Amino acid sequence: MKQLVIETKQLSKTYEGVVPVHAVNEVDLEIENNEFTAIVGPSGSGKTTLLNMIGGLDRPTSGGVKVNGHELSGMNENELIDFRLKHIGFVFQSYNLIPVLTAKENTEFIMLLQKIDKKIRDERVEKLLHEVGLGEKMNSRPAQLSGGQQQRVAVARALASKPDFVLADEPTANLDSHSTANLLDIMARLNQEEGITFVFSTHDQRVIDRARRVITLVDGKIESDERR
Amino acid sequence: MVILKIAWRNIWRNKVRSLVVITAIALGLWAGTFASGFYEGMIDQKIEDVINNEYAHFQVHDSLFREELLLMKNIKGHQAIVDALAADDSVKAFTSRTIISGMFASSRKTGALRLLGIDPTSEAAVTGLDQRLIDGAYFEGIKRNPILISKKTAETYGLDLRNKVVVTAQDAEGEIVAASFRVVGIFSSNNGMFDGMNAYVLATDVQRMLSLSDDHYHEIAVMLKENGLAESYAEKYAKRFPEQEVLPWLDLAMGMRYMVEASGTFSFVIVAIILFALLFSIVNTMLMAVMERTREIGMLKAVGLSRGRVFAMIMIETLLLSMVGAPIGMFATYLMIQRTGEVGIDLGEIGETYSDLGFSAVVYPSLDLQTYFSIGIMVLFMALIAALYPALKAVRLNASEAIRKI
Repeated sequence: MKQLVIETKQLSKTYEGVVPVHAVNEVDLEIENNEFTAIVGPSGSGKTTLLNMIGGLDRPTSGGVKVNGHELSGMNENELIDFRLKHIGFVFQSYNLIPVLTAKENTEFIMLLQKIDKKIRDERVEKLLHEVGLGEKMNSRPAQLSGGQQQRVAVARALASKPDFVLADEPTANLDSHSTANLLDIMARLNQEEGITFVFSTHDQRVIDRARRVITLVDGKIESDERR
Repeated sequence: MVILKIAWRNIWRNKVRSLVVITAIALGLWAGTFASGFYEGMIDQKIEDVINNEYAHFQVHDSLFREELLLMKNIKGHQAIVDALAADDSVKAFTSRTIISGMFASSRKTGALRLLGIDPTSEAAVTGLDQRLIDGAYFEGIKRNPILISKKTAETYGLDLRNKVVVTAQDAEGEIVAASFRVVGIFSSNNGMFDGMNAYVLATDVQRMLSLSDDHYHEIAVMLKENGLAESYAEKYAKRFPEQEVLPWLDLAMGMRYMVEASGTFSFVIVAIILFALLFSIVNTMLMAVMERTREIGMLKAVGLSRGRVFAMIMIETLLLSMVGAPIGMFATYLMIQRTGEVGIDLGEIGETYSDLGFSAVVYPSLDLQTYFSIGIMVLFMALIAALYPALKAVRLNASEAIRKI
C-alpha cells in the first residue's frame, strides 16, 4: 500500500550574504514508501541542501517538510535529533564511520542509542552485515576496510534502526566502479525485497541509471521529475 | 556504556599526543604533590621539634615573665601547680626551669646567652635532652656547676668538654654576680637558632648563684599524653591558675600557629598552580581533538547522538585522560614520599641555613591520605573545567556543516 513518507511544501533555503543565494527555491515534493529516488543536478543545484532539510539537518528559510506526517519545522534541535534517530537513516559521501569502533559496533551504534535489547541487536547486526556482504569483516575497524566496504557498513548502520527511509548524499562519489555497482546492487535489493525507501542525491550516472524515479534540480528548483 | 567505550578508544587514537598530556599530568602532579609532602614533612618535623625539644605541649609562666624576662617574675604558687600536674592522668611529664639571661665568657669570646636551670631527670622526661647529647655526659662527672652547651656554642666560643666558662648575671638584689661553670656535655638539636641561644645548667646551681629560693622557677613545661590535647589543657590550667600565663606550644613558638594553619593551604596552592598550568595543556589537546573530529562529531549528531551525549563524550574523554595521568603521578609521589620519608633528604649546606631558621637540615617528607584524596578531587575538578570549553564547542557544531568539513 502506497504511503506518503516525505512531503515538502514551498520549501526554500536562502543563504544570506552580499548577494543572497537561493539554494532551494519553493520546492514541492512528495516521496512515497518503497521508492528508489535519485535527486540529480549539477554542483550547486541544491541537492545536498534539499536532502539536509528533508533529513532535519538544516532548517528551511520558508516552507515546510513533513516526514510520515510529522512537521519538522516545529521541532527544536533536541526533538530533531531524536526524530532523526528514530525515523531516518543516513549514508554520507565520505562514509563517516566511527573510526574507533568495529564494523559490528558501528552498525550496532544507533540501536544502542535507541536502547534496543542486546539479543535483537546482535541478530540484526549479523543479518545486516551479511546482507551487505561483510559477514566476515564484522570485527574490522574502518581503517582495515576498503572505501566500498566502509560505505556498505554505513548502509548497514543506516538500516539498523529500521528507519522510515534512508537519505544518501552522493554515496558513490568516492567509490570505484566495482564498489559502486556492488553498493547499488545491495541497495536495490534492499529496496525491492524489504521495501526500504531510498532517496539519493547524486550526479553519478551509474546511480541515476538504477533509480526508479529521477528528480532533477536546477538552481534550487525542480526542473523535471521522471518516474521509470 | 557505548559513549564510555568511544571516549576511551578516542583517547588512544593519537597515542603520542595523549601520552604527552598524560605524562605532563603525571609529572606535574608528582612535582606538586612531592613539594607538598616535602613542605608538610618540614612542618611536621618543626612541630615535633617544637613540642619535644623546646616547649612541650604547654607552659606556665608568670603573666609578665615572657614580656619582661625579669628574674623576679617567677611562678607564684609553684607547688600548687606542680601538685595539680602530678595528679593529672593526662600529663605524661613536666619539668620546672629557672631561666636567666647573662653574659657568657670563654677564653676566646664573650656573648649573651640564656641559661636554663633544670632538673635533669624531669627535663629528660619532657624534652629528651639526654638523647640529644653528642659528647660528654648528661650532668654526670662534674659535681660543681656543670653546664651543657650546644655544639654551635662550643664552636662559637671555642669550648670543649671540661672547659671552664664564666657566667655573669644580676641577682635578686640587682647586684652583678658571676659564677664559673664547667662543660659537662655537648648537645645538638635540629634547631640551630635554639642551640645558639641556650645552655643548660642545674636549677639548684642557678638558684644558689643568684641567691634565689629553691622554689624559684620561671617556667613549667608540660608534656601531655596526646598532642591534640595541648590547647584544651592549656585553657583548662589557665582557668585554674588565672594569675599565671598558660599557653600552648602553638602560641609559644613564634609564628607556629600561622605556619601550621598555612601549611595545608600552601600544599594546595602549589598543586593548584601546577593544575592551572596543566589545565591549558588539556584544553588545547581536547580542542585539537574536537577540531580534528569535526566531521565525525557532525555525523554523530546527524545520526541521532543527542547534544547531552556529545557533551558527555568529550567530558568523559577529558576526565579519562586526566584520570590516567593523575594516579600515575600520585602513585610515583607516594612511593617517593614513602622512601624519602624513611631515609630523609639531607639538604647539605642549604640545610645549615634552614637549621639556623629553626628547621631540620634533614627533611622527612610526609603526606597524609586525606591530602592525596583532596588532590585527587582537585584533579577531577580541573579536568571538568578543562573539558567544558571543548565539550561546548562540540555541542555547538552544526551537523550539516560539520559533515561537509574536509
